[in-house]
Amino acid sequence: MTTVTAPTVTPALGNRILAVVRLHLTNRWTVIYLPWLIMLAILALNVAIWAIVLSAAAPENREEVRQNLGYSGAASYMFVYMIVIAVQAISVTFRFAQGYSVTRRDYYLGTSVAFVGFSVMFAVGLSILAAIEEATDGWGLGGKLFTSTVFGEGDGLARAFVFLVLALFFFFVGAAVAAIWVRWRAFGLTAFFVGLAFLLVGFGALIALTDSWVAVGEWFVATGFLGVYAWSLVPTAIAALTGYLVLRRATPQG
Amino acid sequence: MSAVVEVSGLTKRFGSVTALDDVTLRLEENVIHGLLGRNGAGKTTMMHLLTGQDFVTSGSIRVFGENPVENARVLQQVCFIKESQKYPDDFLVRHVLRSAPWFFPNWDAGFAADLVEEFRVPLKRRMKKLSRGQLSAVGVIVGLASRAPLTFFDEPYLGLDAVARQTFYDRLLADYAEHPRTVVLSTHLIDEVSNLLEHVVLIDEGRVLIDAAADDVRGSATTVIGAATVVDAFVAGRDALHRESMGGFASVTVGALTPAEKAEATAAGLELAPVSLQQLIIRKTGASREVEQSA
Repeated sequence: MTTVTAPTVTPALGNRILAVVRLHLTNRWTVIYLPWLIMLAILALNVAIWAIVLSAAAPENREEVRQNLGYSGAASYMFVYMIVIAVQAISVTFRFAQGYSVTRRDYYLGTSVAFVGFSVMFAVGLSILAAIEEATDGWGLGGKLFTSTVFGEGDGLARAFVFLVLALFFFFVGAAVAAIWVRWRAFGLTAFFVGLAFLLVGFGALIALTDSWVAVGEWFVATGFLGVYAWSLVPTAIAALTGYLVLRRATPQG
Repeated sequence: MSAVVEVSGLTKRFGSVTALDDVTLRLEENVIHGLLGRNGAGKTTMMHLLTGQDFVTSGSIRVFGENPVENARVLQQVCFIKESQKYPDDFLVRHVLRSAPWFFPNWDAGFAADLVEEFRVPLKRRMKKLSRGQLSAVGVIVGLASRAPLTFFDEPYLGLDAVARQTFYDRLLADYAEHPRTVVLSTHLIDEVSNLLEHVVLIDEGRVLIDAAADDVRGSATTVIGAATVVDAFVAGRDALHRESMGGFASVTVGALTPAEKAEATAAGLELAPVSLQQLIIRKTGASREVEQSA
């Protein structure tokens, strides 16, 4: 009696990871076309509203209204959508990929590569829209959807960096939350969010009790606008690692 | 004989429930196995463990000589088609078929296209809009066209009509003859697949009751039919697996008979009938006790 052994040639890690990346790209409609279509629809709506507001303003006030037009938060839709992609990707493709004999490690690596790729795509797209917005003086109306001060003070490269780290943050936080869902379902999510709330409130209380709010404010000032965004990579990395550790022992039957 | 799967002392518990209890098992290369048992017997759990989708509580599993958990080298050789397989919500049927070859190195696209036609699966329909039968058909197509050296089918026929089920059996057998591989078929429709199976593993309440060649299992029992008094005299001292009586007649299922015993029974005017795999398994897994109690 003998044992049949697996072939000694393992398919290259790169190919296995690429397969998972392609899995996330199989239906491009959900991950690429749809979010941009919705984003453009939001832009069109905003432009229409700006035009209505401007035309309603008395001619002598028009310039003042224009100055205050649309510090719109509508671009944040994109970041909410990123969480949706991440959660959906993991909560469904994980079980699918398990059915296709993919190891959890290959799945998570491939998913991470896909998420970084999506983040770059969104950052580049949003940067292009921001550049157009700037070049056209806010779509001819002074509106600010992609050049809101939340995203920077007008330096295009810095803004692209902000878009990128924000996208990475939302993708990997989404990945970690989805991994918790896959592994422990509703109970896990509840425990996670209650724990997170305690942690944040506790952190706030710690700062307040040690009279450190001034120090915290100073830290933000000293770290600077881009510095604070750069620091977001730390929670992003923690979320990415958490997602893997949680998924590593997850089972597809849930 | 070469083992593709070797399981020893395998136990799997979910909380206080013991799904598999000290199971030891070998699955031979290029054989079609039937993994049989009642609902909740532990069949699906076993397949989840063999494909690295779940983790053992204790004991060891070797698939192609290695632990399958997180083992890409082993899992690349494995395809597990399960009834409860989840597909991404936004996937169309063609997305499933397009992505399969990235994960199964032996994928045969031509074969898959033939099967799509035979099972009449609509390629442009969303997976979640498929009927139960169409969903099963997609699973069957992936399972067959992937040609994985070790292929598991867990209740692959749910919702499939009789024609589609026969197509599945015929295609499986034909393709298996051309491309030998190890197949594990978990099913309730035992009589339907009875002719396909070369080896039978029967699990009940987490334990292996039968692990034998299908022919040996079929020969392991005989039904003796005739006048009740004669039948009773003949089966006295034997283990009766099952007993039915009507009027003065009785039909009793007993273990294997030697040629001499068969001659003796025939001489006594008794009729001997083979026992189908399904009947045998029903009797082995507890139904007979209930019948006797109610009789």
